[in-house]
Amino acid sequence: MAEKARGDVLQGTLDMLVLKTLQLGPMHGWGITERLEVGSERVLQVGQGSLYPALYRLERQGFIASDWGVTENNRQARFYKLTPAGRRRLAEERASWARLSRAVELVLQMGEA
Amino acid sequence: MRVRVRDVALLISGVVRRRAMERRLEGEMQFHLEMLTERNIRAGLEPAEARRVALASFGGTERYKDDARDEYRSRRLDELGRDLRYAVRVMRRNPGFTIAAALTFALGIGASTAMFSLVYGVLLRPLPYADPDRLVVLWERKLGGGNDHNVVAVPTFEAWRERARSFDGMAALVPLPATIAGAPTAERVMGAEVSAGYFRLLGVAPALGREFTVEEEQSGGANVLVLSHGFWQSHYGGERSVLGRALTVDGRTHTIIGVMPADFDPPQFAWLGDQAFWRPFGATESNRSWGRFLLVIARVRPTVPIDAARRELEAVSAHLATEVKTNEGWSVTLLGLSEQITGDVRLPLLVLLGAAGLLLLMAITNVANLTLGLVRRREHELAVRRAIGATSSRLFRQLMTQSTVVGAVGCVIGVIAAIAGVRGVLMLLPPEMPRTSSIRVDTAALLFSVVVSMIASLGVGAIAAARGGRGGAQALRQSDGRSAARLRAGALVTVEIALGLVLTVLAGLTVRTFSALRTVDLGFNADRVVMARVGLSGPRYQTPESRARFFDELLGRIRALPGVQAASAVSTRPFGGMAPATTLGDASAPPTGDSLVADVRVADASLFRTLRIPLLAGATFSARDVLDAPPRILINETMARALWPRGAIGKRARIPMYGGITPEVIGVVGDVHLMDARTPPRATVYLAATRFPSETWDVIVRANVDPNALVNSLRAAVSALDPTIPTSLVTTLDGLVARTLARDRFTAVLLGAFAVVSLLLATVGIYGVFAGDVAQRRKEIGIRVALGAPSTGVVALVMRRAMQRAMFGIALGTVGALLAARAMASLLFGVASTDPVSFIGVAVLLLVVAVVATLVPALRAARVSPLVAIRVD
Repeated sequence: MAEKARGDVLQGTLDMLVLKTLQLGPMHGWGITERLEVGSERVLQVGQGSLYPALYRLERQGFIASDWGVTENNRQARFYKLTPAGRRRLAEERASWARLSRAVELVLQMGEA
Repeated sequence: MRVRVRDVALLISGVVRRRAMERRLEGEMQFHLEMLTERNIRAGLEPAEARRVALASFGGTERYKDDARDEYRSRRLDELGRDLRYAVRVMRRNPGFTIAAALTFALGIGASTAMFSLVYGVLLRPLPYADPDRLVVLWERKLGGGNDHNVVAVPTFEAWRERARSFDGMAALVPLPATIAGAPTAERVMGAEVSAGYFRLLGVAPALGREFTVEEEQSGGANVLVLSHGFWQSHYGGERSVLGRALTVDGRTHTIIGVMPADFDPPQFAWLGDQAFWRPFGATESNRSWGRFLLVIARVRPTVPIDAARRELEAVSAHLATEVKTNEGWSVTLLGLSEQITGDVRLPLLVLLGAAGLLLLMAITNVANLTLGLVRRREHELAVRRAIGATSSRLFRQLMTQSTVVGAVGCVIGVIAAIAGVRGVLMLLPPEMPRTSSIRVDTAALLFSVVVSMIASLGVGAIAAARGGRGGAQALRQSDGRSAARLRAGALVTVEIALGLVLTVLAGLTVRTFSALRTVDLGFNADRVVMARVGLSGPRYQTPESRARFFDELLGRIRALPGVQAASAVSTRPFGGMAPATTLGDASAPPTGDSLVADVRVADASLFRTLRIPLLAGATFSARDVLDAPPRILINETMARALWPRGAIGKRARIPMYGGITPEVIGVVGDVHLMDARTPPRATVYLAATRFPSETWDVIVRANVDPNALVNSLRAAVSALDPTIPTSLVTTLDGLVARTLARDRFTAVLLGAFAVVSLLLATVGIYGVFAGDVAQRRKEIGIRVALGAPSTGVVALVMRRAMQRAMFGIALGTVGALLAARAMASLLFGVASTDPVSFIGVAVLLLVVAVVATLVPALRAARVSPLVAIRVD
């Protein structure tokens, strides 16, 4: 079942990045986009159209959990936090990402002394 | 496949709490939009402009909500819907499979649900009284064996009630057949005398009026009545003004003080049958000396364990035995009321339920067979789907869904069949089956059928999936490698044969029991015999002379009726239920040795001729046996053999009845089954009716014509003599004998039906397996034929495997049947639980079934053309 390509961040990678931002602590959807933007020095832009489906998917898979909370400006917002399963998932994804990026890097370096 | 609790929870929240989800989406999107707007304002835009830009960059919230919704809702639900549609499609494309599987399933569910309803209604449903588990029945128990359930003497009852602390209440009951005066004729109805507090003890209050008080119990019981709802309706049209009215019972005027509710179902056990009225029972000096005749029900205190109550009562009885001479050697038996009421039918009902369970297993096996066949036919399709990416768990779920759909359809049909079946069974029920009013297909039965269906569906699905969800690519490559499937199909054949054998052996044993019971020589000839009970009451019949005169006159008139061959009278008719018995002995021996238990009947001299009971020695009563004459007796063969093997005529027996008599034996007659065909005849004493004329008699008439034609003239003869005397319990002796066999017939008929169905299922199932097998091995068989295998060889090839399976099944089934037959040994009569005729006969029968069922496929195999070998599918 092919997923529709959407958003600016590669599908799959987005899940890992979301998990990573939540590793810093519980956060609402808006905050997650901000963390991603700040963390990537504004290189990565995440559209809402990708973010919320990703959040719901991750929640259904049991990697994150959510509940209503209050922001620093006293607003109602849905806060997401990492579950133990999500923590393990993040570790796995990081490991495989490391392998992949190293492989890509190796290929790109071929022939370059 | 892993179904996680979390998935299920989300699935449920997705379906049930859709609104909550919508609110959540709305809230999150709103918050996000606001944050975006604020950021734009910080960047220097006007608020309105900032919001417009934010909205634009958001790009239509609805679309995101859609996507988010998709992710939120579990995918499982969609898949379930698709699997259901797929299952229905497969079923519609294979109507033969669908109909066969659903009907087979329905058969199993129907039979087991009907039997469950029966068993639940009779055995499991709590009795309709308050805290029925605390209600017990008390009996006197003769120490040293012999009689564990003896009726209770009045002083014993009084002592128990006074001394035992474990009980909230204790009540005595005496069945009371009574004559109710009325117009135009008197009527005989069944009632009971009960001690005060009886209804309170059961936890049932009168719907109208009140129950008896302790004052009414004292001094032998006041003349007050509580009526059953039915009697109130039929005799008083349900009028509330009935309270305070007078009703004459056995010649005494009674005042009606209460009416029981419509749903009050009085406990019925021993010879306590249906009851139309109750009057207070009270102990009197007189009835304290009557010996043992009370039934006793008690309620154990909620805080006292039943065992503790039993121990206390045993201690009370042990003490009593040292105080009262007549209680020496007697203790107590305490039995739960429910067990007392249903004890006799527990085993036959459980056997029937077990048999229905086996039938269900067979049905499930057949459905599994059919499903396996379907999976095998679809093997290629499944393999292709697997090859293009369907996961094992997906295929597994599809097969499960499919078998569940089949199971659901079967369950619905089965429950409908069970409702009809229970109606049929109710008509077949033996008349003495207790609690029949509580038999119905209700929530418990529905729950049973649904749970059983679900388990069965999952079982069938698992068997099918084990085959269909496995080895995809391999199945694509070689479409002949099916040894594993064949093995499983073979196992199913073994199971069918084994289960069919168990059911058929049990049926065989009960049918043989029934026929053995029917052919028992009862000792009398029941052909064209009709009987009626005539009870005298009222001041006209206070003296023995008046009673003797009445019956002398009545028998004379009946003998003069056209169509009457012979007429007689006896105190209790054969097969007429409990009647007096006593221990007695040879009058010439010291009394301490009297240990022979004998039935006692008071009979008219012509009884033996009328019933064609042979007179083996001596003579019957004569004109000498008048009221003040020394009593004389006839005895039966068993008694003669026990006491006087070298000739009984002229000997004297010591009988502790009528104040103690030592009558002379004037004749010996043949043994007669007085209770039923099962119970062997025991010693019996016949006293002369003219010497001991009692108030109630069974008139026995042998007709030259259809005995039913005599019924009206019999009643007319009684009414003509005295219109206040009712005639009751009119029945043919044949009918009475059939009644006592009703339970055995019921078991035999049902088990027989189960057996027939099981043989059908076995035949169809085995045929299905081997037909499918042959169809699949056409190519292999074709090669064999091409290589010169004779057609007999091909037949043998198919048959040999079938026979191996069948023999294995027969061996297994025989072991199972031996165990089952031993468990129901007490239901058998005239046939051993290891009866070789049944076992060998049924084994041969099952073998024949297996041969017949495989012969057709085998012959088809023999006709396979060798060309098949070179043809490609």
